[in-house]
Amino acid sequence: MHSDADLQMLMARYQAGDPAAAAALVNQLSPALHRFFMMQYVSRRHADDLLQETWLRIHEIRHTYRPGEPVLPWLYAIARHIRVDHYRKTTRVETRERQVEQLPEVSASRQGSAGMDLDALLRSLPEGQREVIAMLKISDMSLEEVARATQSSVGSVKQKAHRAYEKLREQLTRMGFGHIGAGGRG
Amino acid sequence: MTNKDIDDILKSSTHEADPALLAGIAASISARLAPVRPLPPSWALTAAIAVICGIVPTVAAFFLGFQGIERLGMDRIRWIFPTLVLFTIFAASLTVAEMIPGSRRIVNAGTLLAASSLAVLAVFALLFHDFDMSRFIPQGLVCLGVGMLVAIPTGLANWLALRRGFAVNATSAGLAAGTLAGLAGVIALELHCPNFRAMHLMVWHTAVILVGAFTGAMLGSLIARK
Repeated sequence: MHSDADLQMLMARYQAGDPAAAAALVNQLSPALHRFFMMQYVSRRHADDLLQETWLRIHEIRHTYRPGEPVLPWLYAIARHIRVDHYRKTTRVETRERQVEQLPEVSASRQGSAGMDLDALLRSLPEGQREVIAMLKISDMSLEEVARATQSSVGSVKQKAHRAYEKLREQLTRMGFGHIGAGGRG
Repeated sequence: MTNKDIDDILKSSTHEADPALLAGIAASISARLAPVRPLPPSWALTAAIAVICGIVPTVAAFFLGFQGIERLGMDRIRWIFPTLVLFTIFAASLTVAEMIPGSRRIVNAGTLLAASSLAVLAVFALLFHDFDMSRFIPQGLVCLGVGMLVAIPTGLANWLALRRGFAVNATSAGLAAGTLAGLAGVIALELHCPNFRAMHLMVWHTAVILVGAFTGAMLGSLIARK
């Protein structure tokens, strides 16, 4: 995983107009961003669209990043805004049938190494908890960074993560994975 | 099952973004890349809009008259103005944070509105004890109007100062900015208004903060829906 100091340096170069830094940022940050969108229960096509839209917005407002500040909270606050905006527009225009049609596409796209359906697992979580888990575990952000990105407090992030783990543990046990690492909560 | 087991499962996804998509995004960005000037530090923006919130009410009181502060007396002045200045600085800081994605926030905009309104209300309740209600509504509407007439240009000036920012939550940003503008309206009223009846101050002067915040939130919500 790339360090925040590296990302800060790349952001500074990106703001100075260096195309190599822009490409490096896109390549380093997009996989986790794409997974963040996929975890929010959208189709791959929508995740691709959201990723493109996020980078376009990042490009438009790249001056709002202040040198020396952590990059990930800034980036994910924008990504989150794009997702919420997209969700609002989608629910306004899309028919229910079309949304249902897209569900299998999501489910078929990702399997964990243990052969379980990660989407089914994550679908059991409320949106706020899923988002926090995505940032903490997929994007390796700290509690403080997630709090900044979600405009909430560290305490609220901790609580959401704790509740999400409880639900995931319950879900995994029901799916027959309860034996893994039995004996403690780590 | 431990938390680490759950982490391992979450990280075991083999999902990857399409390399062609990433190449396309990188090419699209690089094609229109120009140097940009980053926003100034938060403290500088906070100071700038806090100063605006001091200047606009003072200019307004210059034209309307300083009858309020002249008759208040030091005992009241030393409670009212520090309270207003303190919450103006908090509101300025939060408004700046709302306009910069990923900023650290001590409180959210709703809490700020509640805290500032209650604090102003409490100060008025403790310092003023004339409960005469004569001409309560006509005089109150005048003060509400004057307060809003100060809040609107203050809000516009603040928007100009922060126009290069970007609100990821426009409603929340509008609420914070509206609270700030409302506080500027109350500062103008305390400088100008010589009506020291407790209910007039508690209802109509405090209402400027609430109306300002509500207006800001509505405008933010409208912008978000566009």
